[in-house]
Amino acid sequence: MPDSDAPNSHQFFDQFLADYLVESEEHLTALRQELLALEHFVGKPQIDEALLDELFRRCHTLKGISGMVGLAEAEQVAHRMESYLRVLRQGQLPLSEHGLESLIASVRLLEQIIEARRSNAALPDITSVIAELSRLSQNTDSDHGVAPTAKPPMQRATGQGVRLWRFEFMPSRELVERGINVNTARARLQEIGEIRRSVPLVKAQGQIAFGFVVASSADESVFAGWRDDGLEYAAVDAGSEVTPSDEALLEQQPAAGLPRATSNVVRVDLTRLDDLMSLVGDLVMSRARLENRIKQLRTVLDAPEWRPLQETSSLMERQLRDLRHAVMRVRMVQIGEIFERMRFVIRDLARENRKKVALDVSGQNTEIDKFVVERMMDPLLHLVRNAVSHGLESSEERLRSGKSAEGLIRLRARTAGERVIIEIEDDGRGIDVEKVEQRARERGLIAPGTHIDDDTLLDIITAPTFSTQDKANRESGRGVGLDVVKNSVEELKASISLWTERGRGTRFSIHLPLTLAIADVLLALVEGQTFAVPQAAVQEIIEVEPQAVSVLENNEVISYRGGVLPLVRLAKVFRLAANGGGRSFHVFVIGSGPNAAGLVVDRVIGQREVVVRAASDPLLQVPGISGATEIGDGRVVLILNVEKLLLPAAEYEQRLSG
Amino acid sequence: MDDSPTMRRMVAACLRELASVSFEEAGSGLEAIERLALDPANLIILDLNMPDMHGLEVLGFLRKHQALRSTPVIILTTRGDETSRAAAMSAGASVYLTKPFEPQELFEQARKLLSTLEGSPGA
Amino acid sequence: MRTPGSETFVIMEIAGTAYGVHSHSVQQLEMVESITLVPNAAPSVEGVVFSRGNVVPAISLRARFGFEKIPYDLRTRLVVISSGTRLVGLIADSAREYISIPAEAIQPPPEAITGASVNYVQGVATVGGRVVIILNVDEVIHGIAEPPPDGSPDSVSDVQASM
Repeated sequence: MPDSDAPNSHQFFDQFLADYLVESEEHLTALRQELLALEHFVGKPQIDEALLDELFRRCHTLKGISGMVGLAEAEQVAHRMESYLRVLRQGQLPLSEHGLESLIASVRLLEQIIEARRSNAALPDITSVIAELSRLSQNTDSDHGVAPTAKPPMQRATGQGVRLWRFEFMPSRELVERGINVNTARARLQEIGEIRRSVPLVKAQGQIAFGFVVASSADESVFAGWRDDGLEYAAVDAGSEVTPSDEALLEQQPAAGLPRATSNVVRVDLTRLDDLMSLVGDLVMSRARLENRIKQLRTVLDAPEWRPLQETSSLMERQLRDLRHAVMRVRMVQIGEIFERMRFVIRDLARENRKKVALDVSGQNTEIDKFVVERMMDPLLHLVRNAVSHGLESSEERLRSGKSAEGLIRLRARTAGERVIIEIEDDGRGIDVEKVEQRARERGLIAPGTHIDDDTLLDIITAPTFSTQDKANRESGRGVGLDVVKNSVEELKASISLWTERGRGTRFSIHLPLTLAIADVLLALVEGQTFAVPQAAVQEIIEVEPQAVSVLENNEVISYRGGVLPLVRLAKVFRLAANGGGRSFHVFVIGSGPNAAGLVVDRVIGQREVVVRAASDPLLQVPGISGATEIGDGRVVLILNVEKLLLPAAEYEQRLSG
Repeated sequence: MDDSPTMRRMVAACLRELASVSFEEAGSGLEAIERLALDPANLIILDLNMPDMHGLEVLGFLRKHQALRSTPVIILTTRGDETSRAAAMSAGASVYLTKPFEPQELFEQARKLLSTLEGSPGA
Repeated sequence: MRTPGSETFVIMEIAGTAYGVHSHSVQQLEMVESITLVPNAAPSVEGVVFSRGNVVPAISLRARFGFEKIPYDLRTRLVVISSGTRLVGLIADSAREYISIPAEAIQPPPEAITGASVNYVQGVATVGGRVVIILNVDEVIHGIAEPPPDGSPDSVSDVQASM
């Protein structure tokens, strides 16, 4: 139990918990995929070395960072996995079915531990998994599968027309300035083939260079131009063709499941995207200033001189809008990533439930906002679990009802307008509507005489009082926790629908918004505090000198477009210590005609596209505030409801005119 | 240098209070050597397990190189066993710390190494 | 150690007194970083923060309990608690301990402090010679005056300046 005597290093490193959670998630995702690939080596005398190295390194890193955040349970599990992987790497033991199962169980346990840490829940028990892993690591005389063999040097993948090349990269500041460094050089080499070896070298005069041996089938013309980028090369061993046995090994590689080719995906922190967005916002502001200057020039320049300026400015505006959308698109990730995770879950569940399950996935490339994807994970997992555990029948039962022994789960995603539709379908027994109806009536969930269609059925099975786990519910072909699914889906402003047919299967369709509520806002400073004003509400921003303000009864007004514009000082409404005065200030012109009013701020500091979040707690229900957002520094920025804020002034105006 | 960004951030946080310290991070052995070649450091903090090169290989390379030979190296690793420690020290490590490490200890060791450095001009 | 019949509490310190909240209602313990002031909110609402993506009001327990506010330091903690469907952050001078208190060690609050203003006191426990006031967090939150219905500019005062 944590208490005040805990070493303060954990408290110190607690600030990195968010980093830890992100990074460990990444390792877990990769571990799951790598374990799927590892499955192909069960019982084989040799395991792909690169794959083992990768697994080993991930466990090692997880162990290190878990220790730092004081998550000893995760550290222990990762440590034991590492030990077992070391045994495998040393070729002392072939990988047994049981060994793979234990590794998979360990990853699942790591997941649970980290999730528990994230939600401050009780940590799961790790003793049995630990015991199993250490038993595996020690048990070097194998009782399963193939006897250990002395490991011959593994012939690495080479193919038709593959040649060995020796590359040498000499780094320099000039190259770094051009964005070329050892990492980009290495990435280039990975694209043309397989890097067999990489070493640092000391050249004459103590210069440092990097040597690479690369097996590549690419034509020399592909990389000849790289000499200009500091990459020298020479052929090592001209025309070394490949032996048939190498071919055979080569065939195994793609069969190892997931493509482990160099990923062309760049990992970007959401906060960095926000930074990028803010730069775009700055550009938008600068262009607005430029546009202003151009307008002023109209009176002094001749039309032929002035028009091209104006046109360039308009072009820039369109280009900036495109740029903004392009940055927004970077927030989008492919849904395939979570479908892959489902594959893992299904494989596990099928085994646990002794069912045969095939998975059919489509639309992996469908893109969806990263924020939405993360929040969809749990509900999808839930639905998939239910489909395998409760939706699909056992093989025997399926055969009896004339179906194939293997059940089918379909995961589909597609874009429809501004929404993304995700479907989870099984070809199982379907929901027993009569049974559900009977239970619902017993519990008074439906009025007598109600006709049960799919929508009503969905309402019933997602009712919190209904979807608790009990035997009857399981037998009815639907699982547990559907209320949770419904809640998460609703939180994302998504909707869910159901199709089911007795004996044919069940399908849940989730309709998700493509992105979250996103709004263009103008950021303004008032007495040092930043506020966001929805851009749609603002007609114009004007700069006002203090002496331009006159006082009419109790209201400040300025002359504006031949009339008067009443001013509302945000500092005053919000009772922020007002010490301004003497300096010019910015005014948001809101509304038009007789209802126009000016909202006074100290300075407009930028324009952003932001994600709007509800500030729904009663303690935050303050007039004039509609929500909250963040602009990259973790700080909350309040979004104003300008219509509400200006109401008193507008009413005042009406009184004057009436 | 460490292949985990979280770990790198933690190390940087520990050393933040050392005056006039600026950080260069590297996530792999080759990258680290490149950084050092182009912009020599006063202190190197090195993990043993990295994706492309073993930490001891990196250390061995540094110790063979004229210009980098005398730069102090702190090894920061999860390997607590004596063999690893002895191997690292004989390869030329200045200090060997095991993860999880105490922020205070890393800070102290770094401070000590840097202050001896300041005392010897030309280092 | 957890023993049957006892419950775990997170102990917060406010102005030298220990207050306990049920650990199951505590969602998160965080360092207080940047709190955004919410204009015209109740005086004990210090502002608003993000906690795991949620927009959460931050309440100064010092203000709520009638003590003078002090500047935040490294010990200051934001204790994010759930109350029904709400998430609310409580700012304590420090909050570092989890302790287990046997049910029988918790006494009802003494008559002398059962006035309407202190109905957030659920009980009092003596643990290792130290008095711990057990809080009813729902009452702590519900007792806070909701913001005034209008933020009319005529009622300007320097309330904020004193904060």
